[in-house]
Amino acid sequence: MTSSQRYDAVVVGGGHNGLVCAAYLARAGRKTVVLERRPLVGGAAVTEEVFPGFKFSVFSYVVSLLRPEIIRDLELPSHGLQILPLESTVTPLDNGDYLASWADPDESRRELVRHSPRDAEAAIEFGRLMHHMAMAVKPILGMVPPDPSSLAPSDLRGLLKLGGHLRDLGAERFHALYKLMTMSSADYLDEWYEFDPLKATKSASGIIGTFLGPRSPGSAYVLLHHYMGEIDGAFRAWGFQKGGTGAISEAIASAARAQGAEIRTNASVERVLVDGGRVRGVVLENGDEITAPIVVSGLDPRRTFLQLVERKELPDDLVEEVERYKFRGSSGKVNLALSGLPDFTCLPGIGPHHRGAFSISPSVEYLERAYDDAKYGHFSRNPYMDIVFPSMIDPGMAPPGKHVMSIFVQYAPYNVTGGWDDAKREAFGDAVVKTVARYAPNIESLILHRQVLTPADIERITGLSEGNIFQGELALHQLFFLRPAAKSAKYRTPIKGYWQCGAGTHPGGGIMGASGRLAALEIAG
Amino acid sequence: MTAAYDAIVIGAGSNGLVAAAALGKAGRRVLVVESHDEIGGLRRSSEFAPGFRVPLSVDTGWLPPTIVRGLALPSIDATTPAIVAAVAADGDTLALSGEPARAADAIRGRSARDAERWVAFTDRLSKLVGFLEALYQLPPPDVDAAMSLGELAPLVSLGRKFRSLGRADMIELLRVLPMSIQDLLDDSFESPLIKAAVATAGIRDIRQGPRSGGTSFVLLHHLVGARAGSVGARPWWRAGPDAFIESVAAAARANRVDVRTGARVASILVREDAVTGVALDNGDELSAPIVVSTADPARTLLGMVDPVWLDPEFLHAVRNIKLRGCTAFVRFALDHLPDIRGLDDSSAALAGSVSLTPSLDAMERAYDAAKYGEVSTAPHIEISVPTLRWPSLAPDGKHALVARAQYAPYHLRGGAPWDDTRSCALGETVTSAIDRVMPGFTDAVLHREILTPADLEARFGVTEGAMTHGELTLDQILFMRPVPGWGRYAMPIDGLYLAGAGAHPGPGVLGGAGWLAAKRILRET
Repeated sequence: MTSSQRYDAVVVGGGHNGLVCAAYLARAGRKTVVLERRPLVGGAAVTEEVFPGFKFSVFSYVVSLLRPEIIRDLELPSHGLQILPLESTVTPLDNGDYLASWADPDESRRELVRHSPRDAEAAIEFGRLMHHMAMAVKPILGMVPPDPSSLAPSDLRGLLKLGGHLRDLGAERFHALYKLMTMSSADYLDEWYEFDPLKATKSASGIIGTFLGPRSPGSAYVLLHHYMGEIDGAFRAWGFQKGGTGAISEAIASAARAQGAEIRTNASVERVLVDGGRVRGVVLENGDEITAPIVVSGLDPRRTFLQLVERKELPDDLVEEVERYKFRGSSGKVNLALSGLPDFTCLPGIGPHHRGAFSISPSVEYLERAYDDAKYGHFSRNPYMDIVFPSMIDPGMAPPGKHVMSIFVQYAPYNVTGGWDDAKREAFGDAVVKTVARYAPNIESLILHRQVLTPADIERITGLSEGNIFQGELALHQLFFLRPAAKSAKYRTPIKGYWQCGAGTHPGGGIMGASGRLAALEIAG
Repeated sequence: MTAAYDAIVIGAGSNGLVAAAALGKAGRRVLVVESHDEIGGLRRSSEFAPGFRVPLSVDTGWLPPTIVRGLALPSIDATTPAIVAAVAADGDTLALSGEPARAADAIRGRSARDAERWVAFTDRLSKLVGFLEALYQLPPPDVDAAMSLGELAPLVSLGRKFRSLGRADMIELLRVLPMSIQDLLDDSFESPLIKAAVATAGIRDIRQGPRSGGTSFVLLHHLVGARAGSVGARPWWRAGPDAFIESVAAAARANRVDVRTGARVASILVREDAVTGVALDNGDELSAPIVVSTADPARTLLGMVDPVWLDPEFLHAVRNIKLRGCTAFVRFALDHLPDIRGLDDSSAALAGSVSLTPSLDAMERAYDAAKYGEVSTAPHIEISVPTLRWPSLAPDGKHALVARAQYAPYHLRGGAPWDDTRSCALGETVTSAIDRVMPGFTDAVLHREILTPADLEARFGVTEGAMTHGELTLDQILFMRPVPGWGRYAMPIDGLYLAGAGAHPGPGVLGGAGWLAAKRILRET
């Protein structure tokens, strides 16, 4: 039997953007329901007890980009948002030494002076510039991207606003921003710094989630994108959510409920119903129909346009645009349950540095060679890794005395030669552990359980196409009014009442929530 | 003492002669100083073996109509565009005619789908190139342009030209410029050899591979002036490779321009922040209130000017210019010209240019070496035979073949020198690569000349052997060329102008920078 129900708006997908969108729609008085395929909300921001007693932020693992206005508007702290600072980053070097940045700025400065007094000087000016750059980008991230080819009043207003904003930056800052938009992170950092491991560690944030190397033009923008949080994010630093990133999703969900939104899990949407170019609602896998004049997809562009609706409902050129939209998942995740903490040879013993991150980025060449492997269809034999121990900051994540270790890994190309299978997944996991062991030899003896996630796994579990964590590469030709497609930016689609709110729309990836908020504001008008 | 000349132009290449002719035409007294005994610079043909005299590049570049009109140059009789071909060592070959329909026929054999798309693909390219042609005949607009009225006019006419593209192509231009040539080609074609043939112009003289963002722009740049439908080869002068240089030199002389060859500039003389002339390395001092340098920005601003006259920020920016010479040339004197195996009309193809690289991955792997300061073991090689166009350039029945090889980085790993061993090894690699597709080639070789980036620097004075005077990356074009904010030819010292390929519109636009610089000088002084 199929039952039928009515709402003002249906949000497909309970990822953080879908939840933010639903919360804002409910806040605007719309009767809204969120439909999540999985038993829990969060999408790629979920916490799961993967092994008995061991909880993991299975996919995304740190936070910093979440927009301050969203935290304010939705009063997230009162719904359980609690960010614990990630205090340091340590990069083990191949000569047995290390490069660290500590919570205390003076200490970080002294550490940098130890490696290069010149870079310690440059770091001050660089920090100042990146602050200005983040400020310059902020209003752009916060605006609905205007179509430069359009003569519609709203677009012309947007273009004038944008043009005025860029002109107000002044030539010097405009040129700096233009460089960040077009250069490679390594080339950009070469202009500032001399100590290679410092450049490597910084340029690493320019490759995260992309199929680019540190020498690939375009990576400097991704660097800036990640800087946004550190400078303009609510926390101005990377941090952990108590209870893992899933607890952020829970907090947003709870805020959405408080605004009157309904959230259903285990509710997988089969299709979006369209009549004469206008949405009528959705039908679930179990046959239930839900009627609503507005359907918002938090799924990525490929699923939003090529799976949820019939192609015949869309213009051919849009279908073509979506088909060529680049996902290219490039990262994997290895989650380890440990009987104790690994001992890093560069900083012997267990100490405060375990409360921070370890970056396996000893040199720019190391990262670039990791990328070379991926270009030709292999996972990196010596991958870039971003390692954290959430249980050190939130003991609740592991049984007493035991620990969880989260390892973000690049590169693991979705289109690996021969495709991903169990054997290749384990080989990938082994390569990761082997590489960690080079810097922390006792790691292998501590491993109780190991979860290895390839882009194929990420796609299977979260639904993110090709396992791309940003719902599509943050490449210049896929940003702003081109995200996800010139024919369908601004959160709209050619189908009346059918909207998008995922990271596949401007401004894109990271636990940011900006897409969900902007979409809701557009819908609610 | 009053100066004998109103302006001194450094360098008698196409930019220098055009600048001199334009200034002379306006009644200024101009002296051109050229370090070589012959005028013509990089593009000039030169004798490399007894009786064999050809230029390094068979690509004659683009002569903007504004310059032909402005200097009343005799119209130069150019031929129809040549063929662009790619061949694989296994004997697979593809020759793309400049006539889209004929090229499509050649493609149909390997892919009907690609053949269908070819005409639309080349049409679109030529539309986008049309915009660049307009852009390249105007001074580069900058963010502060809107503030100074003088700069507003070009901005407005550009805006009009942009709008005239129509909505679809406006979007396409903005989307394509930052793309990698690989993404652009993957979106349209499936056949590896087609992609390889087109991508060649996208990585020419740039230390980037086909996967690097911005290489689509490099393709468009090299198509400027090419007949619609052609994907690389531009028309060439029937009268000979030096036809343009000779006609513009004549125009200069007709405008009372003096040209002194064999005169190498040691330094640019400055007093109280204004140029007073130049000093030659024979000790002569020549005075003039205006000095126009067509040497590359590094050589001009770091080599010829005393740094005390330039502010540190500006010098820092100049040092950061990415020159990165990575192309080596090998010129062969041949007793006779063997055919390329498997190519129907070998001579017709060789009169244009033939790439020996069968796939984008092969190009990318060649690039990988350069990232680490190594010479490609299997370089990307393009060959052409200028004596098929101009038989008089070699003794009767004999031929000269020019090969360009990428990547041969100027800066070798660990500061290793470009010594004879390395340069010979490269020569051998190139020779045997040609022999694989052209049986009997090695036996036909009478003489071989190898020019590494180090040799190019020594012979032509181009820093790092960069024929481009600065890579054509998106962060080094328009108002960013030669350095951010100094894209309008006038340098920070009164009376000093930069008018070489290191300024907008860059290499390959014959006299483009010289013409726009002269206009600026005539407006200001």
